Amino acid sequence: MRRLRKYKPFVRASAIDMMAYRFNIITWAIVTVFEVACLIFLWLAVYQSSEGGIDSSINGFTYKEMIVYVVLTTIFGFITFNDDTLWFINRDIRQGTIGNFLIKPISYRGKFIASNIGAFLMMSIVFGIPLYAAGLGVLIGIGYLPVASVWDFIAHFALFLVASVLACLLNGVISYIFGILCFYTSAAWGLNALKTTVISFLSGTLLPIAFFPNVFREIVTYMPFAGMSQNPVLILMMKYDYLECCKVILISLAWLVLLELFAKLLFSRAIKVVTVQGG
Amino acid sequence: MIEVQELTKIFRKPVRGKGLIGMIATLFSRKYTEIRAVDGVSFNIPKGEIVGYIGSNGAGKSTTIKMMCGILTPTSGKVLIDGKEPYLKRRIVAKDIGVVFGQKTQLWWDIPLVESFKVLKEVYQVSDSDYEARIKFLSSVLGIDEFMSQPVRTLSLGQRMRADLAASMLHNPKILFLDEPTIGMDVLVKDKIRTAIHALNAKYHTTVVLTTHDMADIENLCSRLIMIEKGKIIYDGPLGDIKRRFGNIKTLTLTIPPNIDPNEVEPFSDDIIMSVDEDKVILGFDADKVNLEHVVQYAFSKYHAIDMKIADISIEDVVKKILSQQEEEHAKAKKI
Amino acid sequence: MHYIKLYFVCIKRSMLSRLEYKKDSVISILSFLLSNACALGSIFFILQAIPSLKGYTPAEVGFFYGFSMLPIAIDHLFSDEFWLVAYRRVQLGDMDRHFLRPIPVIFQMFAETFQPDGFGEVIVGITMIVICGLNLHVSVTFGAIFVLIIGAVFGALIITSFKIALSSLAFIFKRSGPLLQIVYNFTVYAKYPIAIFPKVVKFILIFILPFGLFISLPVDTLLYGNYNPYLLSLIIIGVSIVFFTLATLIWTLCARRYESTGS
Repeated sequence: MRRLRKYKPFVRASAIDMMAYRFNIITWAIVTVFEVACLIFLWLAVYQSSEGGIDSSINGFTYKEMIVYVVLTTIFGFITFNDDTLWFINRDIRQGTIGNFLIKPISYRGKFIASNIGAFLMMSIVFGIPLYAAGLGVLIGIGYLPVASVWDFIAHFALFLVASVLACLLNGVISYIFGILCFYTSAAWGLNALKTTVISFLSGTLLPIAFFPNVFREIVTYMPFAGMSQNPVLILMMKYDYLECCKVILISLAWLVLLELFAKLLFSRAIKVVTVQGG
Repeated sequence: MIEVQELTKIFRKPVRGKGLIGMIATLFSRKYTEIRAVDGVSFNIPKGEIVGYIGSNGAGKSTTIKMMCGILTPTSGKVLIDGKEPYLKRRIVAKDIGVVFGQKTQLWWDIPLVESFKVLKEVYQVSDSDYEARIKFLSSVLGIDEFMSQPVRTLSLGQRMRADLAASMLHNPKILFLDEPTIGMDVLVKDKIRTAIHALNAKYHTTVVLTTHDMADIENLCSRLIMIEKGKIIYDGPLGDIKRRFGNIKTLTLTIPPNIDPNEVEPFSDDIIMSVDEDKVILGFDADKVNLEHVVQYAFSKYHAIDMKIADISIEDVVKKILSQQEEEHAKAKKI
Repeated sequence: MHYIKLYFVCIKRSMLSRLEYKKDSVISILSFLLSNACALGSIFFILQAIPSLKGYTPAEVGFFYGFSMLPIAIDHLFSDEFWLVAYRRVQLGDMDRHFLRPIPVIFQMFAETFQPDGFGEVIVGITMIVICGLNLHVSVTFGAIFVLIIGAVFGALIITSFKIALSSLAFIFKRSGPLLQIVYNFTVYAKYPIAIFPKVVKFILIFILPFGLFISLPVDTLLYGNYNPYLLSLIIIGVSIVFFTLATLIWTLCARRYESTGS
């Protein structure tokens, strides 16, 4: 525990940064409400047009479940994906300050993990609690998210929290890997756009993975991205039984370890580029 | 060329509340604080003159310059640039003026300097022959051909300033406004810039108005000084007058060893004013009255100075002196 | 004449700046294409599960999506600088040099950036229109093509007008980016036929933020011959001119405010 204490300032700084962005957050909220409304209208039209009408199930989702899914993935993304890792790495490369971290007793990767956790905690406490409470309250209240047993819900919610933390860390390590690619391309804007696109599509944020065509679906299900948005939300919606919950959590955990190892390898190779260039 | 009449600029700033509620309240409140940034300023500048427009930070220099350029509209009074009011006829007056802000560049950051020039050539509709002749002249005085093909972001501060000066002269403006043209540069570079400004003024008879913090800029460049403090002009006249009024004041800053108590050193004469600042001793004197060599010798022999620095009086000091002198005169007048 | 020449000189300058960041451009264009592919893929995956979307076949929905990209792309090509005005440039006091030049500031904003990323959208959009159009076996009439071109070009002018008007508010409030963002993001609604939306949304999309007017109605004209193409063209042109005039007026007023307060 004491070893971890030196990372505390990074957790704090990152949490304060998030508050400074409250203006951006208000903007985000308004934009998002309109976008979610657009998606709801679209899904309404889709289900009204389907053969079985509004109550039919498409690829395992009823209309109500789909609305719950859209609302929860939106809240989930807002709370979980807040990291400037890529921009910070890019800045460190450009200003040549990355070398400083090789001397400090703090691990470069550790600093970012601490920041990710700081942002996640702060967002969860300030926005997560009210947003999830309001979102779930309304969805359960209007009967879109049926809760058969309270204990079942609480258990799933606990598993959801575990999956959320894993999603946050997965997002962090993927950002970190894209950040290291800045060593080679010095193209942060482009890489960030690429990262966002890949994650939002393959994590099921745009559309549940169940809608993807056969082979593609099978592949995407076992990629790390599924654990970053779709799986935590489906756990919260109680669409998975406990066995499936454990399975997807273990898959995420395995990917996290693999990706961290990969990032470590990539970083040690990339840093040579800097030392050769003398940056 | 430039006429400024009773120019006044009042900024109104809403009184801001604290916190989120205060911020929202600000949107609806009608409470303002008024700041008279420029307060009834008048002067005339004839063609071809180089004028130093000086004052301490926040005295109203930049606000005046902005009104003369047309990017700020006066609250009352007016500015005439060659007979036209710049804030009313901004685009017409823009052809007659060139502006260099020391802190900001008007060049494009990522492209070679020459490409920026090509764009400005089109913006100001400079003919090919004029363009070539001016570039040739500007290269000779500013030495910009050394870095013509380099992107602006790779230029040093001095190079960038030379490039900006050249850019502002491409359309051969009648008036050149320079806001802190030598800020942050070392002595050699400053000198280059000053020589160039002189050469431009001599060749094109460009009227130059410059703001600066550096007394040496003024001594080297300006025939006339306009000094502003708290929005009002406190001095307008030749530099020589200031010197005559306050003498050729210089300061000698000494670093002395810890075993010397400066208060026990016998004074040189009444002509030198000594002040102590931590381990530094500052001697102020009039170089026209006291021989510099004697002061230096005195500093070494009596204070055993380890290090010393000679500097001209700073603009802030001149402003202070003028203000205190005016107050004295004021007090005298009242007594009578 | 001077302004046309000046525009091209400035655009060349903008492209030179862009070329300084080749890798970034390539990657961002790639990710841009990819993100469009993902969005399109998502729609097609959804449509595979249902016979038609409120009577629109997948090819028709694809046609809508492709066409909606054109006005957005044309606007993107020419008026990207207004985003910077709204978000950063006024706040940083980085507008003075434009006010010192003998050229209208609004012209300088158009000339400051030419955004070639927009070409990617144009290409993707046209490709989709052609593929979906061939699949639909529509009877192509001159009038329908005419109204589509008018919709794309003058629709872009309407989007640009919103950008001008909202970004100029930054001259008063220092920063208007978020507001611009909120209005601009309504273009997500423009990607689908307005028939799938509730009445209130339809009303907004035709009369207030008229994305439906220049996207949905022209496409409906081509696919079903719902409207008189020439009358519709006339309306679109008229509306866009009104919007653009208002926008430049707002810009001028706000810029005057900037000149009187400084930054």
